[in-house]
Amino acid sequence: MAVQDRIYKCINPVGNVEPVEMVPLAPRLDSLDGKEIWMSITGEPDITIALERRLKMDYPNVNWRTKKTYTISPVELSEEEMKTAQGVIQAVCW
Amino acid sequence: MVVDFEDQDNMVEQEALVNGVPNIRIIHASRTLPGPADIDNWITDMLAALTKPLTAKEKEKGTYDARQPRVIFEGTLEDAQEFYQQTKYIPLPVEAPLAVYTDGLPVVIPTEEAVAKMLKGTSHKANEIITLHEDQVVMEGLGSPKRNKGEKVLFQPMKRTATVEQVATNAVMAGCKPEHLPVVLAISESGCGISTTNFPSQAVCLSGPIVKELKINTGCGHLGPGSRANGPIGRAYQLMAINLGGATPGVNRMGCHGNPMNNGGMCFAENTDGLPKGWDPLNVEAGYDKNDSIVMVMQANGGIVGSQFSPGGYRALQKSGHGGLARRFDVKGTPGPHNWLNYLIPGIFSGREGGIVLMMIPEMAQHLVDLGFKTKDDVYQYLWKSSFEPVKQYRNRSWPDFFRNGWMGIEKQSGKPWKELPDDYMVPSQGDDPFQNMVIVAGGQEEAAVELLGGRGATFSIDAWR
Repeated sequence: MAVQDRIYKCINPVGNVEPVEMVPLAPRLDSLDGKEIWMSITGEPDITIALERRLKMDYPNVNWRTKKTYTISPVELSEEEMKTAQGVIQAVCW
Repeated sequence: MVVDFEDQDNMVEQEALVNGVPNIRIIHASRTLPGPADIDNWITDMLAALTKPLTAKEKEKGTYDARQPRVIFEGTLEDAQEFYQQTKYIPLPVEAPLAVYTDGLPVVIPTEEAVAKMLKGTSHKANEIITLHEDQVVMEGLGSPKRNKGEKVLFQPMKRTATVEQVATNAVMAGCKPEHLPVVLAISESGCGISTTNFPSQAVCLSGPIVKELKINTGCGHLGPGSRANGPIGRAYQLMAINLGGATPGVNRMGCHGNPMNNGGMCFAENTDGLPKGWDPLNVEAGYDKNDSIVMVMQANGGIVGSQFSPGGYRALQKSGHGGLARRFDVKGTPGPHNWLNYLIPGIFSGREGGIVLMMIPEMAQHLVDLGFKTKDDVYQYLWKSSFEPVKQYRNRSWPDFFRNGWMGIEKQSGKPWKELPDDYMVPSQGDDPFQNMVIVAGGQEEAAVELLGGRGATFSIDAWR
């Protein structure tokens, strides 16, 4: 067999994808009235400041709560906060 | 549910996938509309996302398992080259085909034989999972968690793991020799991050006996092409980011312009023989022994700024006090040494914050010693103190809004809240830590200095991987 015809086994350079357990989305709420909804804000203030103000003004019956950082990693809700949280909006960008 | 830009859907979806929520609801914000007008377009949809009943797909659970075979191709070397150079079309924001397994250039084919030969460069077993040999903090300040000794390394951005053999496979593809493998394995401990948006670049700097062992070029052209060691080791970082981490432009590697430093990668080292007396080498600065071999992995966000003065002008300044530098410093006719850092400093701090890696040739380092910079720390302190400016001016910069977390915290020098500081209070535009700066003595004989923007990175032991 000519050298150029030799068959080689070649190794995969791709890293290992660890199996990930898929989680269904949390059940949706029947309505927002009286519910505790968290805004998990990661920048960008041009949107988030206006959004927070708008939500509190237009939906006063919702108990709006906020976790805020201007960096890229959201501030996690504590276990205590998770006990009463009924929805999370994660926003936005950077 | 998540609000983000439409062109970042690929990135959000991949992040959701590796976190086990592939069907998360996404609403698109605008890059151009003012906030209130933008919100009008999607606030109803956003709230509906909290109440609209789940679809069957959104209720799905199970296991995402995309494990791949160890042998990925069988055939001739010519066909293998075609296989490894295959491309995939990436839609907006790229709209072009990009290489799946390579940086776009031909690679050395990782046959079983070539990988087995590469593995002779380490005593570690082929099936060993890459783990950390020391505790690490990566990208401190951006929310990256501390990583602990013994933890599996998760290669970014897809959070994959890797074996010693998989690292060796990428080293083969990059053109490394077996003796380079401990360096590549040490680099792999970093997870080979590629940052996300803007203009990110990566570089690695070696220190210790390994530099001479591998005949790393620390002289003329050390940042450029030609070395049989610098080039392949730098390239191995980029191939690991692509293959072990899954980094793909426009999908999860969102550097808007990309960065030419990542074309072929970048590996350099310090010329320890050129260090002036009293200046510690990088390994000692990082807390290791001078006989330890280490690699520093840097995210050089912002790239390189070349020398701002002419080498002839520099010599004229130092030899006899002539030329433009002497006129600027008002030392006309007075022989040096004169503090050449002062020529660079206005440019360093005019539009950037954070630490810098300042590369200089031995002659220029000696001039600084003769001026009283007895240690590298003296240079770091000088640079840092030169960065002070009134807080009013500092607040007119862009990145500090981000790095100071919306000015919600405490200014470290004063111990007072940022929002309570008077406009004329002086703060370091460079950041809180002079030791973010780093001096590297390297290069040829021509009097030139280069700034690598981004400062220090995490260090990893090469000896641990021999």
